[in-house]
Amino acid sequence: MPVLTVRGATVSYGGRAVVRGADLAVAPGEAVALMGANGSGKSTLIKAVAGLVPLAGGTIELFGTPQKRFRDWRRIGYVPQRTGAASGVPSTAAEVVSQGRLAHRLLGMPARRADRDAVARSLAEVGLADHAHCSVDTLSGGQQQRVLIARALATDPDLLIMDEPTVGVDAETQTALAAVIADRIDAGCAVLLVTHELGPLTDRLDRAVVLADGKVVHDGAPPRPVGEHADPAHEHVHPHANGHNGTDDLWGGK
Amino acid sequence: MILDYFQYEFMQRALLSALVVGLCAPTVGVFLVQKRLALIGDGLGHVALTGVAVGFLTGAAPVWTTLAVTVAAAVVMELLRAKSKTSGDVALAMLFYGGLAGGVYLTGIASDKGVANLQQYLFGSLLTAGWSEVWTIVIGGAAVAALMLVLRPWLTAICADEQYARVSGLPVAALNLLLLVTTAVTVSVSMRAVGILLVSALLVIPVVTVQQFTRSFKATMFASMAAGFLISGAGVLTSAAQDVPPGATIVLIGVAVFLVTAVAAALTRRVRQTRRAHLPPEGEPLEVELPANA
Repeated sequence: MPVLTVRGATVSYGGRAVVRGADLAVAPGEAVALMGANGSGKSTLIKAVAGLVPLAGGTIELFGTPQKRFRDWRRIGYVPQRTGAASGVPSTAAEVVSQGRLAHRLLGMPARRADRDAVARSLAEVGLADHAHCSVDTLSGGQQQRVLIARALATDPDLLIMDEPTVGVDAETQTALAAVIADRIDAGCAVLLVTHELGPLTDRLDRAVVLADGKVVHDGAPPRPVGEHADPAHEHVHPHANGHNGTDDLWGGK
Repeated sequence: MILDYFQYEFMQRALLSALVVGLCAPTVGVFLVQKRLALIGDGLGHVALTGVAVGFLTGAAPVWTTLAVTVAAAVVMELLRAKSKTSGDVALAMLFYGGLAGGVYLTGIASDKGVANLQQYLFGSLLTAGWSEVWTIVIGGAAVAALMLVLRPWLTAICADEQYARVSGLPVAALNLLLLVTTAVTVSVSMRAVGILLVSALLVIPVVTVQQFTRSFKATMFASMAAGFLISGAGVLTSAAQDVPPGATIVLIGVAVFLVTAVAAALTRRVRQTRRAHLPPEGEPLEVELPANA
Protein backbone atom coordinates (compact mmCIF):
# COMPACT_ATOMS: atom_id res chain seq x y z
CA MET A 1 0.00 0.00 0.00
CA PRO A 2 1.53 3.33 -1.01
CA VAL A 3 2.17 5.92 1.67
CA LEU A 4 0.87 8.69 -0.55
CA THR A 5 -1.18 8.63 -3.74
CA VAL A 6 -2.10 11.83 -5.54
CA ARG A 7 -4.30 11.50 -8.61
CA GLY A 8 -5.09 14.36 -10.94
CA ALA A 9 -4.62 16.99 -8.25
CA THR A 10 -5.65 20.50 -9.23
CA VAL A 11 -5.17 23.46 -6.92
CA SER A 12 -6.30 27.00 -7.75
CA TYR A 13 -5.52 30.29 -6.11
CA GLY A 14 -8.14 32.90 -6.91
CA GLY A 15 -9.35 31.13 -10.05
CA ARG A 16 -5.86 30.48 -11.43
CA ALA A 17 -4.82 26.83 -11.51
CA VAL A 18 -1.36 26.56 -9.94
CA VAL A 19 -1.28 22.76 -9.96
CA ARG A 20 -3.00 21.13 -12.92
CA GLY A 21 -3.81 17.44 -12.80
CA ALA A 22 -0.65 16.29 -11.05
CA ASP A 23 -0.11 12.61 -10.20
CA LEU A 24 2.30 11.61 -7.47
CA ALA A 25 2.92 8.40 -5.57
CA VAL A 26 5.28 7.56 -2.74
CA ALA A 27 5.85 3.96 -1.67
CA PRO A 28 6.81 2.99 1.90
CA GLY A 29 10.45 3.77 2.55
CA GLU A 30 10.84 5.57 -0.74
CA ALA A 31 12.57 8.94 -1.01
CA VAL A 32 11.05 11.20 -3.65
CA ALA A 33 11.99 14.74 -4.56
CA LEU A 34 9.48 17.17 -5.96
CA MET A 35 11.44 19.53 -8.14
CA GLY A 36 10.77 22.43 -10.45
CA ALA A 37 11.48 26.09 -10.97
CA ASN A 38 10.05 28.80 -8.75
CA GLY A 39 6.34 29.12 -9.46
CA SER A 40 6.05 25.59 -10.92
CA GLY A 41 3.56 24.66 -8.20
CA LYS A 42 5.74 22.28 -6.19
CA SER A 43 5.20 24.02 -2.86
CA THR A 44 1.48 24.31 -3.53
CA LEU A 45 1.21 20.60 -4.31
CA ILE A 46 3.00 19.66 -1.11
CA LYS A 47 0.75 22.00 0.89
CA ALA A 48 -2.25 20.26 -0.65
CA VAL A 49 -0.78 16.91 0.42
CA ALA A 50 -0.37 18.28 3.95
CA GLY A 51 -4.00 19.44 3.91
CA LEU A 52 -3.14 23.14 4.10
CA VAL A 53 -4.73 24.15 0.79
CA PRO A 54 -7.93 22.63 -0.60
CA LEU A 55 -8.02 20.63 -3.82
CA ALA A 56 -10.07 22.00 -6.69
CA GLY A 57 -9.99 18.59 -8.34
CA GLY A 58 -8.43 15.14 -8.01
CA THR A 59 -7.85 12.97 -4.97
CA ILE A 60 -5.19 12.55 -2.31
CA GLU A 61 -4.83 9.35 -0.29
CA LEU A 62 -2.57 9.06 2.74
CA PHE A 63 -1.72 5.52 3.84
CA GLY A 64 -4.62 4.31 1.72
CA THR A 65 -7.18 6.60 3.37
CA PRO A 66 -8.77 9.52 1.51
CA GLN A 67 -7.29 12.71 2.95
CA LYS A 68 -10.66 14.00 4.21
CA ARG A 69 -11.10 10.93 6.39
CA PHE A 70 -7.43 10.64 7.37
CA ARG A 71 -6.95 11.14 11.13
CA ASP A 72 -3.58 9.54 11.82
CA TRP A 73 -1.59 12.73 11.23
CA ARG A 74 1.06 11.70 13.75
CA ARG A 75 2.41 9.35 11.08
CA ILE A 76 3.38 12.43 9.08
CA GLY A 77 6.29 14.70 9.94
CA TYR A 78 6.05 18.11 8.32
CA VAL A 79 8.79 20.68 7.88
CA PRO A 80 7.25 23.92 6.59
CA GLN A 81 9.00 26.20 4.17
CA ARG A 82 11.46 28.34 6.05
CA THR A 83 9.71 30.83 8.28
CA GLY A 84 12.06 30.74 11.23
CA ALA A 85 11.20 28.94 14.43
CA ALA A 86 11.06 32.13 16.48
CA SER A 87 7.78 33.81 17.39
CA GLY A 88 6.40 36.53 19.63
CA VAL A 89 6.91 34.92 23.02
CA PRO A 90 10.26 33.21 23.70
CA SER A 91 10.28 29.41 23.38
CA THR A 92 13.15 27.01 23.93
CA ALA A 93 14.25 24.60 21.23
CA ALA A 94 12.90 21.73 23.35
CA GLU A 95 9.50 23.43 23.60
CA VAL A 96 9.27 23.84 19.83
CA VAL A 97 10.34 20.25 19.22
CA SER A 98 7.82 18.98 21.77
CA GLN A 99 5.05 20.35 19.51
CA GLY A 100 5.91 17.35 17.35
CA ARG A 101 4.67 15.04 20.13
CA LEU A 102 1.29 16.72 20.71
CA ALA A 103 -0.42 14.45 18.19
CA HIS A 104 0.65 11.52 20.39
CA ARG A 105 -0.85 13.04 23.54
CA LEU A 106 -4.46 13.25 24.62
CA LEU A 107 -5.66 16.84 24.91
CA GLY A 108 -4.78 18.16 28.35
CA MET A 109 -2.66 15.16 29.42
CA PRO A 110 0.93 15.69 30.55
CA ALA A 111 3.89 14.48 28.49
CA ARG A 112 4.93 10.90 29.13
CA ARG A 113 8.43 9.50 29.27
CA ALA A 114 8.22 8.39 25.61
CA ASP A 115 7.37 11.97 24.60
CA ARG A 116 10.28 13.47 26.50
CA ASP A 117 12.64 10.81 25.15
CA ALA A 118 11.55 11.48 21.56
CA VAL A 119 12.17 15.20 21.99
CA ALA A 120 15.65 14.67 23.44
CA ARG A 121 16.50 12.09 20.76
CA SER A 122 15.37 14.33 17.89
CA LEU A 123 17.34 17.29 19.19
CA ALA A 124 20.41 15.07 19.50
CA GLU A 125 19.89 13.76 15.97
CA VAL A 126 20.13 17.24 14.51
CA GLY A 127 23.07 18.10 16.76
CA LEU A 128 21.27 20.53 19.05
CA ALA A 129 21.24 18.52 22.28
CA ASP A 130 23.31 21.24 23.94
CA HIS A 131 20.89 23.90 22.78
CA ALA A 132 17.68 22.28 24.08
CA HIS A 133 17.10 25.02 26.62
CA CYS A 134 18.20 27.95 24.48
CA SER A 135 15.57 30.35 23.28
CA VAL A 136 15.12 29.67 19.55
CA ASP A 137 15.39 33.33 18.63
CA THR A 138 19.00 33.32 19.83
CA LEU A 139 19.82 30.48 17.40
CA SER A 140 21.10 31.07 13.89
CA GLY A 141 18.88 30.58 10.85
CA GLY A 142 20.42 27.19 10.11
CA GLN A 143 20.00 26.07 13.72
CA GLN A 144 16.35 27.20 13.71
CA GLN A 145 15.81 25.11 10.60
CA ARG A 146 17.33 22.12 12.40
CA VAL A 147 14.87 22.73 15.25
CA LEU A 148 11.97 22.53 12.79
CA ILE A 149 13.37 19.31 11.32
CA ALA A 150 13.80 17.86 14.81
CA ARG A 151 10.15 18.72 15.50
CA ALA A 152 9.10 16.69 12.46
CA LEU A 153 11.36 13.79 13.48
CA ALA A 154 9.97 13.79 17.03
CA THR A 155 6.63 12.47 15.86
CA ASP A 156 8.39 9.28 14.61
CA PRO A 157 6.89 9.72 11.15
CA ASP A 158 6.30 7.10 8.47
CA LEU A 159 6.23 9.91 5.92
CA LEU A 160 8.43 12.95 6.22
CA ILE A 161 7.24 15.92 4.15
CA MET A 162 9.78 18.70 3.80
CA ASP A 163 9.25 21.95 1.94
CA GLU A 164 12.63 23.33 0.87
CA PRO A 165 14.33 22.36 4.12
CA THR A 166 17.79 23.45 3.03
CA VAL A 167 17.14 26.95 1.70
CA GLY A 168 19.53 29.30 3.41
CA VAL A 169 21.22 26.48 5.34
CA ASP A 170 25.00 26.33 5.17
CA ALA A 171 26.62 23.46 3.26
CA GLU A 172 27.95 21.76 6.35
CA THR A 173 24.50 21.63 7.94
CA GLN A 174 23.05 20.34 4.65
CA THR A 175 25.50 17.44 4.64
CA ALA A 176 24.71 16.59 8.24
CA LEU A 177 20.97 16.87 7.63
CA ALA A 178 21.33 14.54 4.67
CA ALA A 179 22.90 11.95 7.00
CA VAL A 180 20.02 12.31 9.48
CA ILE A 181 17.40 11.92 6.74
CA ALA A 182 19.30 8.97 5.24
CA ASP A 183 19.17 7.22 8.63
CA ARG A 184 15.41 7.68 8.71
CA ILE A 185 15.07 6.37 5.15
CA ASP A 186 17.12 3.31 6.13
CA ALA A 187 14.75 2.81 9.06
CA GLY A 188 11.83 2.66 6.61
CA CYS A 189 10.53 6.22 6.67
CA ALA A 190 9.29 7.55 3.32
CA VAL A 191 10.41 11.04 2.36
CA LEU A 192 8.76 13.61 0.12
CA LEU A 193 11.06 16.55 -0.34
CA VAL A 194 10.50 19.80 -2.21
CA THR A 195 13.73 21.21 -3.49
CA HIS A 196 15.00 23.25 -6.37
CA GLU A 197 18.64 22.43 -6.00
CA LEU A 198 20.79 19.34 -6.12
CA GLY A 199 22.78 18.84 -2.98
CA PRO A 200 23.72 16.32 -0.34
CA LEU A 201 20.04 15.61 0.40
CA THR A 202 19.30 14.65 -3.20
CA ASP A 203 22.06 12.01 -3.33
CA ARG A 204 19.88 9.47 -1.51
CA LEU A 205 16.78 9.92 -3.66
CA ASP A 206 15.03 6.99 -5.30
CA ARG A 207 13.03 9.12 -7.66
CA ALA A 208 12.32 12.68 -8.68
CA VAL A 209 9.08 14.22 -9.90
CA VAL A 210 9.59 17.41 -11.83
CA LEU A 211 6.80 19.98 -12.16
CA ALA A 212 6.59 22.69 -14.76
CA ASP A 213 3.62 25.04 -14.92
CA GLY A 214 1.72 22.87 -12.49
CA LYS A 215 2.07 19.70 -14.56
CA VAL A 216 4.29 16.68 -14.03
CA VAL A 217 6.89 16.67 -16.80
CA HIS A 218 9.19 13.97 -15.41
CA ASP A 219 8.69 11.07 -13.02
CA GLY A 220 11.66 8.78 -12.73
CA ALA A 221 15.36 8.78 -12.03
CA PRO A 222 16.61 11.88 -10.23
CA PRO A 223 18.11 14.40 -12.62
CA ARG A 224 21.86 14.19 -12.87
CA PRO A 225 23.82 17.28 -12.09
CA VAL A 226 25.11 19.17 -15.10
CA GLY A 227 27.82 21.73 -15.55
CA GLU A 228 30.11 22.41 -12.65
CA HIS A 229 28.19 20.02 -10.38
CA ALA A 230 28.94 17.09 -12.75
CA ASP A 231 32.66 17.48 -12.26
CA PRO A 232 33.75 14.61 -9.97
CA ALA A 233 36.29 16.94 -8.44
CA HIS A 234 33.54 19.35 -7.44
CA GLU A 235 33.15 19.27 -3.71
CA HIS A 236 29.68 19.42 -2.27
CA VAL A 237 31.11 19.80 1.17
CA HIS A 238 32.52 23.22 1.58
CA PRO A 239 35.47 22.80 3.89
CA HIS A 240 35.64 25.20 6.74
CA ALA A 241 38.79 27.06 7.50
CA ASN A 242 38.63 26.32 11.20
CA GLY A 243 39.84 22.73 11.04
CA HIS A 244 36.63 21.04 12.22
CA ASN A 245 36.56 18.83 9.15
CA GLY A 246 37.99 15.41 9.67
CA THR A 247 36.73 15.17 13.22
CA ASP A 248 33.88 12.76 13.75
CA ASP A 249 31.69 15.61 14.90
CA LEU A 250 29.16 15.60 12.11
CA TRP A 251 27.85 19.01 12.97
CA GLY A 252 31.17 20.83 13.01
CA GLY A 253 31.62 23.60 15.52
CA LYS A 254 29.00 24.28 18.11
CA MET B 1 0.18 52.76 57.86
CA ILE B 2 -1.02 51.37 54.56
CA LEU B 3 -2.30 48.15 56.12
CA ASP B 4 -4.84 50.18 58.07
CA TYR B 5 -6.91 50.44 54.92
CA PHE B 6 -7.51 46.72 55.00
CA GLN B 7 -9.49 46.75 58.18
CA TYR B 8 -12.32 47.81 55.85
CA GLU B 9 -14.05 44.93 54.19
CA PHE B 10 -14.46 46.79 50.88
CA MET B 11 -10.69 47.18 50.68
CA GLN B 12 -10.19 43.47 51.31
CA ARG B 13 -12.63 42.72 48.50
CA ALA B 14 -10.90 45.18 46.18
CA LEU B 15 -7.47 43.71 46.87
CA LEU B 16 -8.65 40.13 46.47
CA SER B 17 -10.37 40.84 43.13
CA ALA B 18 -7.41 42.77 41.74
CA LEU B 19 -4.92 40.09 42.78
CA VAL B 20 -7.00 37.34 41.18
CA VAL B 21 -7.34 39.26 37.91
CA GLY B 22 -3.64 40.12 37.92
CA LEU B 23 -2.75 36.48 38.44
CA CYS B 24 -5.14 34.99 35.88
CA ALA B 25 -5.35 37.49 33.02
CA PRO B 26 -1.72 36.94 31.86
CA THR B 27 -2.34 33.20 31.44
CA VAL B 28 -4.62 34.10 28.54
CA GLY B 29 -2.59 37.12 27.47
CA VAL B 30 0.56 35.08 26.88
CA PHE B 31 -1.18 33.24 24.03
CA LEU B 32 -2.69 36.43 22.62
CA VAL B 33 0.75 38.06 22.52
CA GLN B 34 2.17 34.92 20.88
CA LYS B 35 -0.60 35.05 18.27
CA ARG B 36 0.03 38.79 17.73
CA LEU B 37 -3.52 39.55 18.87
CA ALA B 38 -2.48 41.74 21.80
CA LEU B 39 -5.31 44.20 21.13
CA ILE B 40 -8.08 41.60 21.06
CA GLY B 41 -8.73 42.13 24.77
CA ASP B 42 -9.33 45.80 24.09
CA GLY B 43 -11.60 44.97 21.16
CA LEU B 44 -13.67 42.64 23.31
CA GLY B 45 -13.59 45.33 26.00
CA HIS B 46 -15.38 47.68 23.63
CA VAL B 47 -17.94 44.97 22.94
CA ALA B 48 -18.32 44.49 26.68
CA LEU B 49 -19.61 48.06 26.75
CA THR B 50 -22.53 46.91 24.66
CA GLY B 51 -22.98 44.02 27.07
CA VAL B 52 -23.14 46.37 30.06
CA ALA B 53 -25.69 48.53 28.25
CA VAL B 54 -27.80 45.44 27.54
CA GLY B 55 -27.67 44.80 31.28
CA PHE B 56 -28.95 48.33 32.02
CA LEU B 57 -31.67 47.92 29.45
CA THR B 58 -32.92 44.56 30.65
CA GLY B 59 -32.25 44.97 34.33
CA ALA B 60 -30.13 41.79 34.33
CA ALA B 61 -26.78 41.67 36.12
CA PRO B 62 -24.23 43.34 33.80
CA VAL B 63 -21.62 40.62 34.40
CA TRP B 64 -23.84 38.00 32.77
CA THR B 65 -25.08 40.13 29.85
CA THR B 66 -21.46 41.17 29.22
CA LEU B 67 -20.36 37.56 29.29
CA ALA B 68 -23.04 36.60 26.76
CA VAL B 69 -22.32 39.51 24.40
CA THR B 70 -18.51 39.19 24.47
CA VAL B 71 -18.59 35.42 23.99
CA ALA B 72 -20.95 35.89 21.02
CA ALA B 73 -18.63 38.56 19.59
CA ALA B 74 -15.61 36.29 20.05
CA VAL B 75 -17.33 33.47 18.17
CA VAL B 76 -18.38 35.79 15.33
CA MET B 77 -14.88 37.24 15.12
CA GLU B 78 -13.22 33.81 14.96
CA LEU B 79 -15.67 32.66 12.27
CA LEU B 80 -15.00 35.83 10.27
CA ARG B 81 -11.27 35.32 10.58
CA ALA B 82 -11.35 31.63 9.70
CA LYS B 83 -14.11 31.40 7.11
CA SER B 84 -13.97 34.66 5.19
CA LYS B 85 -11.23 36.77 3.74
CA THR B 86 -11.60 39.29 6.59
CA SER B 87 -8.20 39.78 8.15
CA GLY B 88 -7.67 39.78 11.90
CA ASP B 89 -7.14 43.52 12.15
CA VAL B 90 -10.25 44.34 10.10
CA ALA B 91 -12.35 42.09 12.33
CA LEU B 92 -10.75 43.81 15.31
CA ALA B 93 -11.55 47.27 13.95
CA MET B 94 -15.20 46.25 13.56
CA LEU B 95 -15.25 45.11 17.20
CA PHE B 96 -13.93 48.48 18.36
CA TYR B 97 -16.43 50.55 16.35
CA GLY B 98 -19.45 48.31 16.77
CA GLY B 99 -18.89 47.66 20.46
CA LEU B 100 -18.47 51.30 21.39
CA ALA B 101 -21.41 52.47 19.24
CA GLY B 102 -23.65 49.68 20.55
CA GLY B 103 -22.83 50.59 24.12
CA VAL B 104 -23.53 54.30 23.68
CA TYR B 105 -26.68 53.67 21.64
CA LEU B 106 -28.21 51.20 24.07
CA THR B 107 -27.29 53.33 27.07
CA GLY B 108 -29.10 56.17 25.32
CA ILE B 109 -32.24 54.06 25.11
CA ALA B 110 -31.88 53.05 28.74
CA SER B 111 -31.07 56.58 29.84
CA ASP B 112 -33.36 56.47 32.85
CA LYS B 113 -31.82 53.31 34.27
CA GLY B 114 -28.60 54.29 35.92
CA VAL B 115 -26.38 55.66 33.18
CA ALA B 116 -24.27 57.16 35.91
CA ASN B 117 -23.16 53.59 36.53
CA LEU B 118 -21.55 53.29 33.12
CA GLN B 119 -18.36 54.92 34.25
CA GLN B 120 -17.80 52.29 36.92
CA TYR B 121 -17.63 49.68 34.18
CA LEU B 122 -15.53 51.79 31.85
CA PHE B 123 -12.79 52.43 34.37
CA GLY B 124 -13.45 49.83 37.04
CA SER B 125 -14.88 50.28 40.49
CA LEU B 126 -13.31 47.73 42.75
CA LEU B 127 -14.38 49.55 45.87
CA THR B 128 -18.10 49.10 45.30
CA ALA B 129 -17.94 45.40 44.47
CA GLY B 130 -19.94 43.12 46.74
CA TRP B 131 -18.86 39.67 47.88
CA SER B 132 -20.93 37.95 45.20
CA GLU B 133 -19.08 39.88 42.51
CA VAL B 134 -15.75 39.04 44.13
CA TRP B 135 -16.63 35.35 44.06
CA THR B 136 -17.57 35.62 40.39
CA ILE B 137 -14.09 37.02 39.73
CA VAL B 138 -12.37 34.35 41.84
CA ILE B 139 -14.25 31.41 40.30
CA GLY B 140 -14.04 32.76 36.74
CA GLY B 141 -10.35 33.59 37.12
CA ALA B 142 -9.50 30.20 38.58
CA ALA B 143 -11.36 28.41 35.78
CA VAL B 144 -9.59 30.46 33.11
CA ALA B 145 -6.14 29.98 34.63
CA ALA B 146 -6.62 26.23 35.13
CA LEU B 147 -7.77 25.75 31.55
CA MET B 148 -4.88 27.77 30.12
CA LEU B 149 -2.26 25.99 32.26
CA VAL B 150 -3.54 22.53 31.33
CA LEU B 151 -3.80 23.30 27.61
CA ARG B 152 -0.54 25.27 27.42
CA PRO B 153 1.33 22.98 24.96
CA TRP B 154 -1.60 22.79 22.54
CA LEU B 155 -2.42 26.49 22.66
CA THR B 156 1.28 27.35 22.24
CA ALA B 157 1.39 25.16 19.16
CA ILE B 158 -1.62 26.79 17.47
CA CYS B 159 -0.44 30.28 18.38
CA ALA B 160 3.19 29.82 17.31
CA ASP B 161 2.71 27.91 14.05
CA GLU B 162 -0.91 27.34 13.07
CA GLN B 163 -0.03 25.57 9.82
CA TYR B 164 2.17 23.03 11.56
CA ALA B 165 -0.53 22.50 14.17
CA ARG B 166 -3.03 21.74 11.42
CA VAL B 167 -0.70 19.23 9.77
CA SER B 168 -0.20 17.53 13.17
CA GLY B 169 -3.95 16.98 13.23
CA LEU B 170 -4.63 19.19 16.25
CA PRO B 171 -8.19 20.58 16.57
CA VAL B 172 -6.98 24.03 15.53
CA ALA B 173 -10.38 25.64 14.91
CA ALA B 174 -11.76 24.47 18.25
CA LEU B 175 -8.65 25.61 20.13
CA ASN B 176 -8.71 29.03 18.44
CA LEU B 177 -12.35 29.41 19.41
CA LEU B 178 -11.63 28.28 22.96
CA LEU B 179 -8.87 30.88 23.27
CA LEU B 180 -11.13 33.72 22.11
CA VAL B 181 -14.03 32.60 24.31
CA THR B 182 -11.66 32.42 27.27
CA THR B 183 -10.52 35.96 26.47
CA ALA B 184 -14.15 37.05 26.47
CA VAL B 185 -14.72 35.43 29.87
CA THR B 186 -11.58 37.12 31.22
CA VAL B 187 -12.73 40.52 29.97
CA SER B 188 -16.18 40.07 31.48
CA VAL B 189 -15.00 38.99 34.90
CA SER B 190 -12.17 41.50 35.17
CA MET B 191 -14.12 44.58 34.12
CA ARG B 192 -15.01 45.14 37.78
CA ALA B 193 -11.36 45.40 38.67
CA VAL B 194 -9.72 47.45 35.96
CA GLY B 195 -12.64 48.52 33.81
CA ILE B 196 -13.44 47.42 30.30
CA LEU B 197 -11.33 50.06 28.60
CA LEU B 198 -8.25 49.01 30.52
CA VAL B 199 -8.74 45.26 30.80
CA SER B 200 -6.48 44.58 27.85
CA ALA B 201 -3.60 46.04 29.86
CA LEU B 202 -3.61 43.22 32.42
CA LEU B 203 -3.73 40.64 29.62
CA VAL B 204 -0.73 42.08 27.84
CA ILE B 205 1.54 44.21 30.05
CA PRO B 206 2.74 41.46 32.43
CA VAL B 207 3.56 39.23 29.45
CA VAL B 208 5.49 41.77 27.38
CA THR B 209 7.30 42.88 30.53
CA VAL B 210 8.65 39.47 31.52
CA GLN B 211 9.27 38.10 28.03
CA GLN B 212 12.20 40.46 27.73
CA PHE B 213 14.05 38.31 30.25
CA THR B 214 12.70 34.80 29.78
CA ARG B 215 13.93 32.06 27.45
CA SER B 216 11.05 29.60 27.55
CA PHE B 217 7.31 29.84 27.04
CA LYS B 218 6.65 28.07 30.33
CA ALA B 219 8.80 30.53 32.28
CA THR B 220 7.13 33.45 30.48
CA MET B 221 3.72 32.17 31.51
CA PHE B 222 4.53 31.74 35.19
CA ALA B 223 6.61 34.90 35.47
CA SER B 224 3.86 36.95 33.85
CA MET B 225 1.38 35.60 36.41
CA ALA B 226 3.71 36.75 39.18
CA ALA B 227 4.19 40.13 37.49
CA GLY B 228 0.43 40.62 37.04
CA PHE B 229 -0.12 39.70 40.70
CA LEU B 230 2.46 42.21 41.92
CA ILE B 231 1.34 45.00 39.58
CA SER B 232 -2.31 44.62 40.61
CA GLY B 233 -1.44 44.49 44.29
CA ALA B 234 0.78 47.56 44.06
CA GLY B 235 -1.95 49.36 42.10
CA VAL B 236 -4.64 48.74 44.71
CA LEU B 237 -2.37 49.79 47.58
CA THR B 238 -1.30 52.98 45.79
CA SER B 239 -4.81 53.90 44.82
CA ALA B 240 -6.01 53.37 48.38
CA ALA B 241 -3.27 55.58 49.75
CA GLN B 242 -3.96 58.37 47.29
CA ASP B 243 -7.73 57.91 46.90
CA VAL B 244 -7.60 57.59 43.09
CA PRO B 245 -9.32 55.03 40.80
CA PRO B 246 -7.62 51.61 41.16
CA GLY B 247 -8.00 50.55 37.52
CA ALA B 248 -6.07 53.49 36.14
CA THR B 249 -3.45 53.18 38.91
CA ILE B 250 -2.86 49.49 38.15
CA VAL B 251 -2.43 50.20 34.44
CA LEU B 252 -0.11 53.17 35.00
CA ILE B 253 2.10 51.10 37.31
CA GLY B 254 2.13 48.37 34.66
CA VAL B 255 3.18 50.75 31.91
CA ALA B 256 5.88 52.24 34.15
CA VAL B 257 7.22 48.79 35.02
CA PHE B 258 7.28 47.87 31.33
CA LEU B 259 9.23 51.00 30.41
CA VAL B 260 11.77 50.51 33.20
CA THR B 261 12.30 46.83 32.33
CA ALA B 262 12.58 47.62 28.61
CA VAL B 263 15.47 49.96 29.36
CA ALA B 264 17.00 47.42 31.75
CA ALA B 265 16.65 44.66 29.14
CA ALA B 266 18.35 46.77 26.51
CA LEU B 267 21.25 47.34 28.90
CA THR B 268 21.58 43.65 29.85
CA ARG B 269 21.50 42.68 26.19
CA ARG B 270 24.40 44.99 25.58
CA VAL B 271 26.36 43.37 28.41
CA ARG B 272 25.44 39.86 27.19
CA GLN B 273 26.66 40.54 23.70
CA THR B 274 30.17 40.54 25.06
CA ARG B 275 29.61 37.40 27.18
CA ARG B 276 27.36 35.14 25.14
CA ALA B 277 26.06 31.88 26.57
CA HIS B 278 26.81 30.02 23.35
CA LEU B 279 29.03 31.02 20.49
CA PRO B 280 27.51 32.64 17.43
CA PRO B 281 27.17 30.23 14.49
CA GLU B 282 29.92 29.97 11.96
CA GLY B 283 29.13 31.54 8.66
CA GLU B 284 29.46 30.04 5.21
CA PRO B 285 32.95 30.21 3.82
CA LEU B 286 33.28 33.17 1.53
CA GLU B 287 33.11 31.69 -1.96
CA VAL B 288 35.23 34.28 -3.64
CA GLU B 289 38.91 34.75 -3.80
CA LEU B 290 39.94 37.94 -2.16
CA PRO B 291 42.56 39.87 -4.09
CA ALA B 292 45.83 39.74 -2.22
CA ASN B 293 46.77 42.98 -0.62
CA ALA B 294 49.61 44.42 -2.59
